[in-house]
Amino acid sequence: MPPFANTSALESFRPLFHPRSIAVVGASASSVSGGNRFIRHLKAFGYQGRILPVHPSAERIEDLPAIRSLADLDEPVDYAYVAVAADAVPGVLASGRGKLRVAQVMSSGFGEIDGGQAMEDRLVAAAREAGIRVVGPNCLGVHSPRARVTFTERTGPEPGRIGIVCQSGGLGIDILRRGRGRGLRFSGLVTVGNCADVSAAEIVQYFAESDDTDVIGLYVEGVRDGRRLFETLRANSTKPVVILKGGRTDQGRAAAASHTGSLVGSDHAWVALARQTGAVLADTLDAFLDTLLVFQCLTPAAVPTRRVVLFGNGGGTSVLGSDAFSRAGFDVPRLPDDIVAALTALELPAGSSVRNPIDTPAGALQKDEGRLFPRILDVVGGSGALDALVVHINMTVVLSFRHVDMLGNLVDAALRAKADGFAPHLALVLRSDGEPDVEEKKRDYRARAVAAGIPIFDELASAAASLAGLRLVEAFRAGLDGQIGGRTVSRRSAAP
Amino acid sequence: MTVHEQIGRARAAGAGSLDEATGKDILASYGIAVPRHRIVRDSAELRDAALALEPPFVLKVVSSAILHKSDVGGVRLGLRDADEAAAALDAMAEALAAHGLSADRWLLEEMVPPGQELVIGGLTDPQFGPMVMVGLGGIFIEVLKDVSFRICPITRRDAVEMLDELKGAPLLRGARGRPPVDTDAVLDALMRIGGPDGLLMSHADALAELDINPLIATPRGAFAADARFILRPADASWSA
Repeated sequence: MPPFANTSALESFRPLFHPRSIAVVGASASSVSGGNRFIRHLKAFGYQGRILPVHPSAERIEDLPAIRSLADLDEPVDYAYVAVAADAVPGVLASGRGKLRVAQVMSSGFGEIDGGQAMEDRLVAAAREAGIRVVGPNCLGVHSPRARVTFTERTGPEPGRIGIVCQSGGLGIDILRRGRGRGLRFSGLVTVGNCADVSAAEIVQYFAESDDTDVIGLYVEGVRDGRRLFETLRANSTKPVVILKGGRTDQGRAAAASHTGSLVGSDHAWVALARQTGAVLADTLDAFLDTLLVFQCLTPAAVPTRRVVLFGNGGGTSVLGSDAFSRAGFDVPRLPDDIVAALTALELPAGSSVRNPIDTPAGALQKDEGRLFPRILDVVGGSGALDALVVHINMTVVLSFRHVDMLGNLVDAALRAKADGFAPHLALVLRSDGEPDVEEKKRDYRARAVAAGIPIFDELASAAASLAGLRLVEAFRAGLDGQIGGRTVSRRSAAP
Repeated sequence: MTVHEQIGRARAAGAGSLDEATGKDILASYGIAVPRHRIVRDSAELRDAALALEPPFVLKVVSSAILHKSDVGGVRLGLRDADEAAAALDAMAEALAAHGLSADRWLLEEMVPPGQELVIGGLTDPQFGPMVMVGLGGIFIEVLKDVSFRICPITRRDAVEMLDELKGAPLLRGARGRPPVDTDAVLDALMRIGGPDGLLMSHADALAELDINPLIATPRGAFAADARFILRPADASWSA
């Protein structure tokens, strides 16, 4: 039974995400170690609380007065960053008895290596004895922009509403940096490493309880407490959860004595968990980040997204896009006659198609300097004939019309439509050729669109896959009735 | 004797599994339909027992030592009357002897009417605890691995989705001119195995694996035609 068992996760992990004071065990007086870098990151990120380096002999570390031991603290600290050799960790925790709430142990050499489990057991015993919750070991730190706490650089100070639990330190940095580039904004990210004491499920519970967080992302490789995670996710019905699971492809259990045992692979449990909790399983880091972006920008609708309208320039791209959305389980239906008539009345230039996909050559878009597009948005937006509009723009082609800022007009029109309460989900695909000037423009538009709540993708296929995650959550919440045995069976009924 | 006592006794005796008759009794106590049956010790007893049952019959050897009965000629289906069943018992005893095996008990049961064969399975996963599986029988499970798993306890909605997920699901609805099967009976069986008060949740600490193979789903009812319970060693248990 861990300490704090009777308190909420919000209370237990406030010291981790919002520490009023931080002790650093393992910073050097003579070289630059992990602890020194952490102190520098804290300062650069603008941390306002007290930083207390712990060192057996040095007077000052990183220009801060050092203390000899956690035991010498005059008042308890919320959070300790511990980066010393594995065999010294239990002693550090013992010295923190009554002086420390949460320790994060970065050190490796525990359960992740052969023969390291005994050392991990000692760490857990020491933590329990001292009444300290331990995150890790074998991890990199915590990122909490609202508290101005971070463990790495180039993560961005902007606080957001996505909370991440990450079992890999390095991947945690990828998620922060690449996510930031896509427009993701985080409420927090914790690298949890081996989860010797604090489990992934407990941090998920924290994010589920926290008012700062709307969306939860989880990277896990192996969980010792899968059942607790399952129950935590099952109890969380309000916040979308995206899971990136590493190691989903091992074989079933060769030693099983039954059919059932020989058929089960490690993936079955995760697929089951996702189906039963409404979590979205992503297969790749890119899909994970794209899906998080969808949930950051879009609110799941009461009726699952099914009918998608594509609008953009490029006939081949429209066809491939339709295929991608169909494969992802969407309909790309022909628009109803009255909508087609309304679009035809806009007198789109030759070469346009208005049936869905709505395909307009770039040359046609320059009519009225791109002001045709807002009219198209007006016609389809209120039609009730679609659940999502995906606008895709071949940037290179559109940018070649240099005498007007057609791309700017298009993006502005989308932003205005969103601000005016455009009813269907709206997503934008900006297709670039990778040239620096085009990428530069894309970065600007991405920032503006995401800030306005419009998710931006590089390609239609990734838009389709990520929006499928949104549909999954919508369908799960709607608890749709299934068709089996040739008649409708309610899925809402309780156990017999 | 309660189910806990039955399973506990077998584990204490070092058994790795339950014999089919005990397994079916346990299924029946959880509300799963099983064919009516009698346990007999020889062909003379079989003739008496057959009077209380409706032919056609199925005859199986009862032994927790024999996990794969059909591999050693320990299963005979479609026996038309008591004479045929009695002859089958004697022939089976000889066949077993040729494999160096012997048995002192036999299961005589009514043959389940034809239907769609399914498999319901269970296991205790080291991370997630009890899990339940469903698939269609035959090539669907053997070749195509067309199965669906859930973590217990399942809701009825989970059970519906498990069946929906199977590629072979149209067969349950009466594809290829066959009558649709009694889906509610299959869902009931899934709930009784994997639901909140189901067999797996109640005995996660004692059961390692479970196969109901086949569960025969007919237009009226679903019947467990075989049951295999794999027990955990007496010193091992799973706890959440």
